[in-house]
Amino acid sequence: MGQLAFGIGLLVAIVVLAITHRLWAPAMGHGGASTWRIAKITVAEARRRRVVQAVVVLVLLILLSMTVFSYLNPREQARMIISGGLSAITVFGILLAIFVAAFLIPQELETRTVYAVLSKPVRRFEFVLGKYLGALIILAAIMTIMTVVLVAVLLVMDHFVPDLTYSTFEPNLANVVFAAVMSYFAVAVLSAYIVLISTVSSTAMTVIASFIIWAIGSLQSQIHDLAAGAETVSTKWFFTMFYWLVPPLENFDFRHEVSNFMQVSYKAGIDAAGVGILYIIVVLLVASVFFNDRQV
Amino acid sequence: MTDRRSRNLTLLLALGLLLMTVPMQESIHQLRPHVFDPERKTRRASAINVGPMPAVIAALGGFRTVAADMLWLRVERDWHGGNWWALPSLLDGVTQLDPHFILAWQVYGWHLAYNLHAEAETKVDKRYYLDGGIRALEGAVDANPDNWEMIFELGWTLFDRAHDMHRAAEYFYRADQFPEAKSYTTRLYYRCFERTLDIPRLVEALEYAKNRHTDPYSPDDVQHQVIVSDNYRFWITDNHLEDRDKHREIIARENTARAQRSVDFYLYPDNPYWDVCPHCGLPSPEGSEFCSAYGHPMKPSSGSSRSPGESRPPAEATSI
Repeated sequence: MGQLAFGIGLLVAIVVLAITHRLWAPAMGHGGASTWRIAKITVAEARRRRVVQAVVVLVLLILLSMTVFSYLNPREQARMIISGGLSAITVFGILLAIFVAAFLIPQELETRTVYAVLSKPVRRFEFVLGKYLGALIILAAIMTIMTVVLVAVLLVMDHFVPDLTYSTFEPNLANVVFAAVMSYFAVAVLSAYIVLISTVSSTAMTVIASFIIWAIGSLQSQIHDLAAGAETVSTKWFFTMFYWLVPPLENFDFRHEVSNFMQVSYKAGIDAAGVGILYIIVVLLVASVFFNDRQV
Repeated sequence: MTDRRSRNLTLLLALGLLLMTVPMQESIHQLRPHVFDPERKTRRASAINVGPMPAVIAALGGFRTVAADMLWLRVERDWHGGNWWALPSLLDGVTQLDPHFILAWQVYGWHLAYNLHAEAETKVDKRYYLDGGIRALEGAVDANPDNWEMIFELGWTLFDRAHDMHRAAEYFYRADQFPEAKSYTTRLYYRCFERTLDIPRLVEALEYAKNRHTDPYSPDDVQHQVIVSDNYRFWITDNHLEDRDKHREIIARENTARAQRSVDFYLYPDNPYWDVCPHCGLPSPEGSEFCSAYGHPMKPSSGSSRSPGESRPPAEATSI
């Protein structure tokens, strides 16, 4: 079933790309340059926002404050720091994604700077993609800083917490970094959805919708359960369609395995990254269609 | 190409790419069954007999592990504050939020089956807490079937607390199949048959234990071989398999332990160990109507119809 769906999907993609090659092939050269310029401007704008800097400082303080659980045994301390640290990285990464990505396009429309950009030889898809890439760069920088601080905290604690015969600190650093990278993919997928919503609604509505999508995306496995346990065909179809439309955020959530020192499936991570990249492309394509239809 | 056509083709391309995610998503479902296998999650939920709503609420935004950590800090506080009776509900919440938190499961099962069982004053309460502890650990094994420690923990509680040796043996054997299992798991496996005087299975388990943990360069394996050889010599070389006095001694010790634990046999009426001959105090093989040693007729005793004390061994049989 899966292989068949993949084959059909691949065939459709190849056929469509072949039919439309006259549209996209010439734009590959100069389109990349203009997308990159828009991304750089987006990064510069985001750097000026105080909320971004405030969130980074807040997360760093939270990560450092996690060293207070000295009354727990070493293994429990490691668990607390890893689960708390990874959750802080994910949650604040997602909050930043919402507050960065939700403002990207609506603000351009409200301040009318979009007219200046679109009057130049820039396609709307390139504009959407440039804005999205800018958001991804700034989020990558922030999440890298947070991950480095978490790893540093774990290394320092590993040095100072005395091991007991039945309990040792021993943080699984490779898995921690892996979980942080996967959290970044979650943030990237959610950002794409936020950009999609922002092409059709105001800033306030985008922020509210982003929170709802985050919550629904985190219930991915529950929606899968509902689809699997549905008693009627129509309910099964409804939940299955819903399952494929919501952002697959649980795919990227490895915090649970890492903080419980369970074996982590890197293959599942690679698959999740593949699914994430395809979702991002799909969502940005739909976003560009919506933005094209919008009267600007 | 018109705008409308280009729009439709773009949406078709998006659909094609979405279809391409199907096999990868299916692979993720298989690789992470603890997240995506509904049967496994449902089994766990029914095992601890609570609704999934709190877990669903905490799952919004992926806060389950953090919520479990917060509750765990409350467990620590209540534990050190002596508020033992509040712990089961907290631990239930922790394990429901994070079913892979091994330490929380261990503390949950142990607290019910040991601490609260010991603190309870009536037999009914003791049974309630012991059964609760075992149920919690069964839930833990369902949620963590790949964790040997959890399987061992359930085996140990059945062995040491409930004295349900046949079930304990099953779990020790299952735990022992994991490469990381410690050698005491192998030894506890035959100890179960020692205590039930299930001689054929004891011999089989001793042979099995002799062939496990045989690395001459591992101190733990060397120690294991010394202990198993001692036991093997005692039972098989010195031929205590037919030693009735030894059997009586074991039965007496087991009866005393069960009495101390207030684990009366009516809790587990199907345990064949309790089919003890009222004349000589020796156990009968499962299903036999005669005592294995002297052929004394035994009262037909099928678990549920037996009242407490009916087939308890006579006083002289339990004293050494």
